[in-house]
Amino acid sequence: MQKDLNKSAEIKLWISRIVVYAILIFLAFLCLFFFYLMIINSSRSNAQLKEGFTVIPGGHFLDNFYNAWHDGDINIPVGMKNSFIVAAASAVLTTYFSAMTAYGVYVYNFRLKHFVHIFILAIMMIPSQVSAVGFIQLAFQYNLTNKLWVLFVPSIAAPVVYFYMYQYLQATLPLEMVEAARIDGSSEFRIFNRIVLPIMKPAIAVQMIFSFVGSWNNYFMPSLLLNAADKKTVPIMIAQLRSADYSKFDMGKVYMLMLMAILPVMIIYIILSKSIIKGVTSGSVKG
Amino acid sequence: MAEVVLKNIKKVYPILDKPKKGLFKSKEDTKEHRKHNLQITDEGVVAVQEFSLDIKDKEFIVLVGPSGCGKSTTLRMIAGLEEISGGELYIDGNLVNSVEPKDRDIAMVFQSYALYPHMTVYDNMAYSLRIQKLSKEEIDRKVREAAEILDITQYLDRKPKALSGGQRQRVAIGRAIVRDPKVLLMDEPLSNLDAKLRNQMRAEIIKLRKRINTTFVYVTHDQTEAMTLGDRIVVMKDGYIQQIGSPQEVFDHPANLFVAGFIGTPQMNFFDAKLLKKADGYYVNVEGMEVKLSEEKQERLKAHDVKEQEVTLGIRPEHITLAEEGIEGMIDVSELMGSSCHLHMTVEGKDVIVIVPTEGDASEYMGRKVKLSFSGRHAHIFSKEDEKNLEY
Repeated sequence: MQKDLNKSAEIKLWISRIVVYAILIFLAFLCLFFFYLMIINSSRSNAQLKEGFTVIPGGHFLDNFYNAWHDGDINIPVGMKNSFIVAAASAVLTTYFSAMTAYGVYVYNFRLKHFVHIFILAIMMIPSQVSAVGFIQLAFQYNLTNKLWVLFVPSIAAPVVYFYMYQYLQATLPLEMVEAARIDGSSEFRIFNRIVLPIMKPAIAVQMIFSFVGSWNNYFMPSLLLNAADKKTVPIMIAQLRSADYSKFDMGKVYMLMLMAILPVMIIYIILSKSIIKGVTSGSVKG
Repeated sequence: MAEVVLKNIKKVYPILDKPKKGLFKSKEDTKEHRKHNLQITDEGVVAVQEFSLDIKDKEFIVLVGPSGCGKSTTLRMIAGLEEISGGELYIDGNLVNSVEPKDRDIAMVFQSYALYPHMTVYDNMAYSLRIQKLSKEEIDRKVREAAEILDITQYLDRKPKALSGGQRQRVAIGRAIVRDPKVLLMDEPLSNLDAKLRNQMRAEIIKLRKRINTTFVYVTHDQTEAMTLGDRIVVMKDGYIQQIGSPQEVFDHPANLFVAGFIGTPQMNFFDAKLLKKADGYYVNVEGMEVKLSEEKQERLKAHDVKEQEVTLGIRPEHITLAEEGIEGMIDVSELMGSSCHLHMTVEGKDVIVIVPTEGDASEYMGRKVKLSFSGRHAHIFSKEDEKNLEY
């Protein structure tokens, strides 16, 4: 009797494990399949790509790389550099200033404090495409096209990041710590930079990567504001390659450029992944 | 090492956002107001008022009172963390009402320790000295000296999360004393520790006080801490000072019913009684038993020309004895505390506690009817009208 019970429990455990693993494998497949597709396709020639999908890599990886790198219309190193400047600057500015705003609203008591908080949150409801129209008009009016800083300076105002930072501060920063630092003789700036920022490291890492990736992949704004060849970012270059006329069109090259474009993002994910997990789960358990 | 003088200090919290605007009202705000729900005027919520106190150089002052009585607010005003709404605050003879906390030369130990979690113990303690731009050698010497006093030298390289509660508290104290502050403020520093550690740290603070000559202002809601640590204690309630005096004074001569009930464990017993003025002096009549008051009490009552009246009589549990004749009571529960026994009984519908020496089996007391007696020397007479001690 006892043995039967144990056996049926074991069988149940095995079945549930098989089901769970099957679901996980399916989800992992969904996530990774497109990366695999891209890597395979980047190793195939344009003619091979027209024949349809195969799981076996082709032999044109280096050709595609050479063709993409030496394309007459686009300059990949310059595109990479431009993308990196915009993405890195956005990531740093967004996180630093959002953290500072969140700190200000969280720590200081002032009239209309809650109104300010709600107002910033209300901005989240406005789709970025709507506000973009006005911004682009402004940029054209003041001759601000083809300037990289125009792409990253507005990222200082990021209500979503602000909200995340505010929540994080609520969960992790006791006001007594700020007061202790004040009594220790710190100026308000020093308290923020030396005490609060290090405490917020996991939150900053998470938002930095989101912001970096968002900016790196952003096509909408750069495509409207950048048209000089030396100012283009990687997503514009990919689009440019894709829309090339029939005689020059090479899908292998496009896949190769996509692969190159996601490499920096992957590296950053790998470097910051520990902090991301920490940041995503922080505040969930009282520590 | 400084005098601290508080002159008629007042604290009013303005109501920042009007409560009616539901959308913009945060939960913390309402909580904050409820906590200090003492007196709401047009100006806002009054947390402390008419607070005047001269703290002498190197004195150990304890502010004690129940939650929300304004003791922490007073301490935070001395620290400069709260604006002073009215009155004057002097540290070492200088008016400091508007001086920034960092320029007041004070240090503070918080209830939650408030250590910087990303810094080691050493860096936590050195932080304020680095801001003062002291030389590396001097910082090192001071930090090690303070660590030595508090016996935390072996933890200097650890981060706060790797320390126990007691060790963290030592670091917090270390961070405060490393600067040789003029005034050391402590806001319920022991309330996060367990009972055993609390007793131990209390003794440590007494020792520490002997080693570092500075003025202490200590806030607690625990009257045992107040009694054991303070040179003088300030009992507060609803933002007002109730009594200032040495622990012995406050215990022996409570100024009013609140102080009498708050100081001393178990709490003082109160009876409805009548104060009688006879030819040979004052008597107190409780439940039909008449007790003549002691000579010194007679003199004090006479000096104030106290009339016959209904009063509240207070007697501490340790001053009530079981006798042949006296007030009748029935023992409900007896608690054996070791050498003594606490008897909880009901007298005319009121709960009364009596402490008696343990003799034999404590459980034998349960359910017994006894008679209680007390001496006129230990009776505290409070007015029914304003609850003040009629002797003062």
